[in-house]
Amino acid sequence: MESGALPESRLLQPISGRRRRTDKAMRWLFWLATGIALVPLVLVMIYIINKGIGALSSEFFTTDPTGNFLGAQGGVKSAILGTIEIVGFAALVTVPLGIGVAVYLTEFGRTGKLAQAVRFFVDVMTGVPSIVFGLFIYLVLVIGEVGGSTFAGWKGSAALALLMLPIVTRSSEVSLQLVPNHLREAALALGAPRWKVVLRVVLPSAASGIVTGALLSVARAAGETAPLLFTSTIVKATTFNLNEPMNSLPAQIFQDLKQPNDELVERAWGGALTLVGMILIVTLAAKLIQRRSRGKGAI
Amino acid sequence: MNTRPTDASGHAETDTEDAQGARAGSPVTPSFEVSEPRPRAKGSDATRAVELRDLSAYYGSQQAVKGISLSFVPGEVTAIIGPSGCGKSTMVRCINRMHEEIPGAHAEGQVLLDGTDLYGSGVDVVAVRRAVGMVFQKPNPFPSMSIYDNVAAGLRFTGAPRDTIQETVEDALKGAGLWEEAKDRLKSPGTGLSGGQQQRLCIARALAVNPDVLLMDEPCSALDPVATLKIEDLITELRERVTIVIVTHNMQQAARVADTTVFMLDGELVEVSGTKKLFTNPEDERTERYVTGKFG
Repeated sequence: MESGALPESRLLQPISGRRRRTDKAMRWLFWLATGIALVPLVLVMIYIINKGIGALSSEFFTTDPTGNFLGAQGGVKSAILGTIEIVGFAALVTVPLGIGVAVYLTEFGRTGKLAQAVRFFVDVMTGVPSIVFGLFIYLVLVIGEVGGSTFAGWKGSAALALLMLPIVTRSSEVSLQLVPNHLREAALALGAPRWKVVLRVVLPSAASGIVTGALLSVARAAGETAPLLFTSTIVKATTFNLNEPMNSLPAQIFQDLKQPNDELVERAWGGALTLVGMILIVTLAAKLIQRRSRGKGAI
Repeated sequence: MNTRPTDASGHAETDTEDAQGARAGSPVTPSFEVSEPRPRAKGSDATRAVELRDLSAYYGSQQAVKGISLSFVPGEVTAIIGPSGCGKSTMVRCINRMHEEIPGAHAEGQVLLDGTDLYGSGVDVVAVRRAVGMVFQKPNPFPSMSIYDNVAAGLRFTGAPRDTIQETVEDALKGAGLWEEAKDRLKSPGTGLSGGQQQRLCIARALAVNPDVLLMDEPCSALDPVATLKIEDLITELRERVTIVIVTHNMQQAARVADTTVFMLDGELVEVSGTKKLFTNPEDERTERYVTGKFG
């Protein structure tokens, strides 16, 4: 075991030129890959900030679009509030539901046939293009005038919920699976009924992972345009009634960018910057929760 | 059973010597010292008697425990020894019905606690586990809870009245010999303790629900010799409170702590004897071969 036991020559042999060159080349290759991947990301950010920063003003955040052909075009207040309402309502429904499904999968269904089938469909749903969810809600809820309205904010929420549900379920399931089995056993051996094991031991241990996953699904949904275009549509006025058509940032951007009016195009860039900022805040919150729970011993 | 009294201090000395012998890696002949049989602990009562009747345990179709019948004497420490995979852990996990938590696993036969079959119809699994506590191989305090909350966890799971919890937690920590080390940091996370302290925390957690029987599944295998010694001393103290069944792969440990030792092989019970007899004068040839280190 002692190093002296090895022949000296074996330790002091020079590294061959070929090994040195290969090492250098491979390092450069990986740097290059990372660099290339970063270029579009950085460019997009610079471009959005560059184009959008000029549109930002206090009126931009506090006025609704006017829709005037000439004169002041107004801001994106209705779009910001609409996005928060639509995504918030969708999260309110999907986060508990997704966690519930994940608890079923990891704690009760486990490797049973039903659990396997549910897992398969959750995976399939993750891959469904978002416009398909929008189309589905359009056909079922909008054309059917469910709730006495055609286009409505809550129908946009429904489309986003379909999109978020598999993401929340999957990320929660992964977090729950990371909870070591010996903790469940410890709680069971103390005479805890299974529901208390889940509620008092498993969920608290997985909490940070579950919250992170939920926030990331919110961030993902906030940027979706297609499911909202023909469910909550694009309107001008701010509304707090989820049963009315409701504006949203992605839809507003989509609308403005098509207009032959420089002011509206600039508003689209401002809206894009706002949306990126909002998503950044949610993502940072997720990261912060993840970091804070680390070191506390939680998963 | 021999009831020659042994004074406590003399006993502690034997323990220390044994631990040092183990550290020095002494060969496994009956060279290690075996504790003299101790007098039966005071206050031992029939409610803590455990009896296995023709107990078999399966993983799917594979049989891990093959029809074992065995009694554990209240107020005594019983050690289960045997080579890896001989079914000793599985057997012990049948006593608090944790075995059936593994998908595909089931048990047959009877486990009687104070005459009641734990596998009988109408028996609540949850109640079984409150009566039969367990300490696992790896210390496993709940990471999301403080030291205090860890010990209180069992009480809260069982819905104990709030005002009694604080007192019970203190009692349990004292019982597990952790009170002096932990009393100033009850609010800090249980995972911040050292390995040996964590294991004593787990013992306190198990004691807090006041079980009749305490199962210990290789409780020292993840600990250093000093921490191991503390746990062993603790086991000797606790035999007054609970019937203890300890699984161990360490024969010296069995010799140090157990009144009775059970030797298992391939899911079968080979020999049950007083610890001293089993290690010095075993009846079965296989026991002798195992105890003298010829296999396993």
